[in-house]
Amino acid sequence: MGHSMGDLDLFNPTPEHRALRQTVRAFAEREVEPQALASDRSEHFNLPLFRKLGELGLLGITVDERFGGAGMDAVAAVIAHEELAAVDPGFTLAYLAHAMLFVNNVFLNASDEQRERYLPDACAGRTVCGMCMSEPGAGTDVLGLATTAERRGDGYVLNGAKMWITNGAVDDQTLGDAFLVYARMKGAPRAQLTSFLVDKGTPGFSLGQRLKDKLGMRASSTAELVFEDCEVSERQRVGPEGGATLHMMRNLEIERVTLAAMSLGIARRSLDVMNRYARERTSFGEPLAHFGQVQRHLAESYAEWMAGRSYTYQTAAQIDLGSAGHRLDSDGVKLFCATMAKNVADRAIQVLGGYGYVGEYVVERLWRDAKLLEIGGGTLEAHHKNMTRELGHVQTLR
Amino acid sequence: MKILVPIKRVADPDNANKVKVSADGTQVTTEGLEWKMNPFDEWALEAALRLTEDGAAKSRVGEVVLVSVGPKEAVATVREGLAKGAERGVIVEGNDNDLDSNVIAAALAAVAKKESPDLIVMGKQTVDGDSNVAGTVLADKLGWPIINYAMRIETSDDGKTFAIKRDLDVGVASVKVTGPVVITVSDSILHPESVKNGVTPADFKYPEAEGGRYASLKGIMQAKKKPIAEQTLSGLGVDAKRTVTYKKFELPPARSGQTTFVESVEELVEKLRTEAKVL
Ligand SMILES: Cc1cc2nc3c(=O)[nH]c(=O)nc-3n(C[C@H](O)[C@H](O)[C@H](O)COP(=O)(O)OP(=O)(O)OC[C@H]3O[C@@H](n4cnc5c(N)ncnc54)[C@H](O)[C@@H]3O)c2cc1C
Repeated sequence: MGHSMGDLDLFNPTPEHRALRQTVRAFAEREVEPQALASDRSEHFNLPLFRKLGELGLLGITVDERFGGAGMDAVAAVIAHEELAAVDPGFTLAYLAHAMLFVNNVFLNASDEQRERYLPDACAGRTVCGMCMSEPGAGTDVLGLATTAERRGDGYVLNGAKMWITNGAVDDQTLGDAFLVYARMKGAPRAQLTSFLVDKGTPGFSLGQRLKDKLGMRASSTAELVFEDCEVSERQRVGPEGGATLHMMRNLEIERVTLAAMSLGIARRSLDVMNRYARERTSFGEPLAHFGQVQRHLAESYAEWMAGRSYTYQTAAQIDLGSAGHRLDSDGVKLFCATMAKNVADRAIQVLGGYGYVGEYVVERLWRDAKLLEIGGGTLEAHHKNMTRELGHVQTLR
Repeated sequence: MKILVPIKRVADPDNANKVKVSADGTQVTTEGLEWKMNPFDEWALEAALRLTEDGAAKSRVGEVVLVSVGPKEAVATVREGLAKGAERGVIVEGNDNDLDSNVIAAALAAVAKKESPDLIVMGKQTVDGDSNVAGTVLADKLGWPIINYAMRIETSDDGKTFAIKRDLDVGVASVKVTGPVVITVSDSILHPESVKNGVTPADFKYPEAEGGRYASLKGIMQAKKKPIAEQTLSGLGVDAKRTVTYKKFELPPARSGQTTFVESVEELVEKLRTEAKVL
């Protein structure tokens, strides 16, 4: 080989990636961390803080500059999610739902006219947006969704309910501003979905309920949204009728890779906490780090974190945001990292003993937040299913 | 207005406990530490950016030129400053071990003579050397006034004269000075209303931000295209030599980590005197 690989930094491949990490880390430590515990306890979505993400340019991280974005890549999105989740995974989930599930999706799949109408406000943080796929009766079986769209006059009427929608509400009473809603044309085949942009204030669109008392991710708000003869004009339809299944697939990879990135942040913080504690805390006259069982917690956690980190950054580097084609690994990184982060947070609590069990030491919150990543954006079992299907296309791994 | 802001990269001050001394005690080793912009320089950069912009309209009305004297790798730190809004950078290459405040001041003076800025705004010290003299020596070499520990800067209408408040242990000193001048800043310069440049509306308040503004993603992407000139000490005609040499470095003694509980103030004073020996 002609050049040295020694300078290769998988986690910060260019100076811009490194600078991005610095900016997000400084912001996270100075402004996100101080409010994290209180927002978790009070189930509070911090809207002013969210708007600051817009000022920094993080909300349109993957979007072209002409629509108000920063024009960065999947690796940059991973860096931003990793750094934010190291201090506040709940807040980061709200960021992900807006920036990845809505903004990136609209950027990839909507018309220029729609992009001009929605993206500048969404990138600047003037609006809070989300994506509606799951329903009370259909999650993993997404093509089993029951929300319908029907032609009426120049437009459509939507009927149905959506469940678990992050950013669906910004507080107990107020809807988020705009949503990308997946539905099926009445009578259309199971695999042909159609999606619509639906704004707060559209007649027939309402907040069913804000879902309270979640185990974790409590700094993001989650809601049930109701569509009752909800009338939308034709210009709210994204792409052709029946074309949204492809849109969904196109956006899934970045969604899963950034969810994996959140796991990386959770694991890193948990490691930092237990590493420091194991050296400061003494028992039987020695630091905890001298005990073999504690060493195992530390060493295994670090190795698993680095394995997940390398896999995630390698996968992100391969992702071309405009096309699908990395299903196996985008499912793979989330499958591995979600459980890895939950285990690392669990070991951190164990190493801290009683202190690990209370909020002040952070890891109990990370442990609760980590569990969601085994469910949201695809359950572990859904990843098993998808990956096995993908592996069926492979003759020999190379 | 054109402002020169000298910046230095330093080993991450938040991890100062990882700094080690080489076995022979001749140098401080910084292996494994991340490099960051000297925090005092971040304040200076923030002040300079405020002086050269319309803060309300978020538009630039002047020029900030960053100068770093040090190894080539300092380019990352210069880019960080460019991402925050500075227009361009200059790197004067030099090995950290050959540099002291005297050489730095000579290099900065040479750059200042080429650039003819209206102001040089800089940190009062670096967090690694803590010498607190480069600004003063630089002003001396240029024959310019030096105003240390500025906590508030207000430009006059003609942009040449500055009303400056200085942050002193005993109170606040107010001075008026006509440029060109060297100013070092204190952390109070980050106060929301500490810089008035006659362009930003007088009632505008900057957000409270420890360390000054963040580099936005847009700024980071733009910084890629901003020019950074490379210079050498000899190319600038600088033949200054170190005037300070370090004989020996030692780490402070490790703290015992022991906690002692006391029952009364008398006992506390007694223990501080006899056991801790700090009184
Ligand atoms: C906090 C939170 C935020 C969310 N945010 C959003 C959002 O913004 N937008 C959105 O659209 N959705 C969102 N979701 C929904 C999330 O994507 C779904 O919860 C997830 O896809 C699982 O669907 P489900 O809950 O209906 O479970 P189900 O699909 O009913 O699954 C129940 C169990 O059965 C298993 N299972 C189901 N099918 C199979 C199978 N074929 N083989 C093996 N096992 C199977 C599952 O793995 C799981 O263990 C969110 C969920 C949560 C909790």
